[in-house]
Amino acid sequence: MLAFEELEVRYGPVVALRGVTLKLEPGIIGLLGPNGSGKSTLLKTLLGLLRPAGGRGEVLDVPLAGADAAQLRSRIGYMPEYDALIEDASAYEQVAFWGELSGLSARQARDRAHEVLYFVGLDESRYRNVSGYSTGMRQRVKLAQALVHSPELVFLDEPTNGLDPEGRTRMLDLVLKVRAELDTSVVLASHLLLDVERVADQLVILDKGEVKASGSMAGLRKMLSRRFELRFLDPLSAAQEAELGQLGTVLESRNGLYDLELADPDPVAAFRWAQARRATLVQLTPRHDRLDEVLIRALRPA
Amino acid sequence: MPIYAPSLPPRPEPGQGLPPALVIFRFDLRRVLRLKLGRFFGFVFLAILLILVAQLYVNHLMASKAALADIRKATEAFLPQGARFQAGLLNPFMITILWLQVALVGGGLVARDTLYRIRPLLYAHPVTPLDYLGAKALFAAGLPLAVMLPFILLPWGLSLAIAGLHGPVWPTAPLYLLPAAIAISALMGAVTLGASSLASSPKAGFGWALGILLGSSALGGVASGAFSDARWMALGLGTLSKAWPRLILGLQTEQGWIPVLLGTGFHLALWLTIAVRRTRPSEATI
Repeated sequence: MLAFEELEVRYGPVVALRGVTLKLEPGIIGLLGPNGSGKSTLLKTLLGLLRPAGGRGEVLDVPLAGADAAQLRSRIGYMPEYDALIEDASAYEQVAFWGELSGLSARQARDRAHEVLYFVGLDESRYRNVSGYSTGMRQRVKLAQALVHSPELVFLDEPTNGLDPEGRTRMLDLVLKVRAELDTSVVLASHLLLDVERVADQLVILDKGEVKASGSMAGLRKMLSRRFELRFLDPLSAAQEAELGQLGTVLESRNGLYDLELADPDPVAAFRWAQARRATLVQLTPRHDRLDEVLIRALRPA
Repeated sequence: MPIYAPSLPPRPEPGQGLPPALVIFRFDLRRVLRLKLGRFFGFVFLAILLILVAQLYVNHLMASKAALADIRKATEAFLPQGARFQAGLLNPFMITILWLQVALVGGGLVARDTLYRIRPLLYAHPVTPLDYLGAKALFAAGLPLAVMLPFILLPWGLSLAIAGLHGPVWPTAPLYLLPAAIAISALMGAVTLGASSLASSPKAGFGWALGILLGSSALGGVASGAFSDARWMALGLGTLSKAWPRLILGLQTEQGWIPVLLGTGFHLALWLTIAVRRTRPSEATI
């Protein structure tokens, strides 16, 4: 669905994306990264608003730099992070407008606007000007405009911004519903890790314009999580404890339990280390990191 | 608690709609028609048009009624029917009011999209910069042209109806006045687009448009004073829009054809270039 090879995007002399190589399958893709990491640039590039300076990329099997970029956008929906709402128009008017711009006839767009606004939970209020809407309602109008033409792929930029916990739950439920019932793939850019963790099945972590990690959520956790709890039959001597650093970084030690980040991704290295020092390793438990720990580790300087 | 639909009906077949430029144009037009401002200017222009028609009818009576011969002689000085009269159909007062209206309404054309951050979302749809600017230009130039058309066609039609080919308005007057109206509309459209694309809100867009109108006239005045040559006044937008009907109708102007053409070309190129540069997709901030 999305494939990039050595993609490079520049703003004049500044390299905003460098050597981005990714291959992502249909599903819900979480796009994570701190401010300035290149998330927005990647979205702009995917929408065809920026031309790559180098490398190749395909969205829905259409080359990014190809002449079909404008037509590609009729197959994509985009929900921006900020309030891109026409304040002096009703939700119904503007969703119908965006539908027409996506290639629907005026009649189709009007019918579809009603359907999609009902789908996101805006019933009678759809006839009111959006200037009087709550934050949650505004977010749902933005989602509705992204879905009005039933795109194959939708980009959601911080869809839960400014929502209360109940609103966030509703929005994330809608995201899951979009994937499950409309068969639309979702790229969810967010800094709220819990949101991504809840809905995404694939994850891309960006930092300073480079992909730090990507893959399925489960696979990524496994790949990035080298954190184990070790316990030995007998307490380690001071010399052995000092040598424990060869195995990895000791994050914490308490009552003979060592919290270690292994240098070698293969945990068998811990057994080898113990065997070489005639110590008996009785516990080697992987730590199930939360996503924020995974992210922090991925973004940590090498 | 919102009511969520179980799901959406099947996807409609796309590719059956209007071109994007027309969709944007129609949406902008609906927005402007809702404004109270439109009604105010509608009243002003209607009043000017009625005065023009009344003047035309009085003019006809003067010409056709023998009993009014003495009055006709007395009024010949202020009711002439030659080229000057034809040029007066697009009179400077009306053009000035039109500039104000275009600045007020058109100032927000691009600026409103900037304020509400609509442009990145527009470009995230199958909309090209040409579609976007084409729609805005159609609106910005179409509005003044639509206002000027009744001022050209209504007196002309009335004149033909009441007095035939020898009425006060020349039968060929639209052939002269329509190109003049198109040139004025193009100027107004270009300036409005440029001003609006420089602004971050509709109010600022109005300010920019008014500033450009007054500033260009001031610049023209300073330049003509400095070089002691009235042709420099063709830098001013007010002068240009008043000069076009007179030039096309063969009347004397202080500027002449070449300065007016150069001045018009300069303003069109400058403000359209600014509008193009300020509305590029890469300028769209996500």
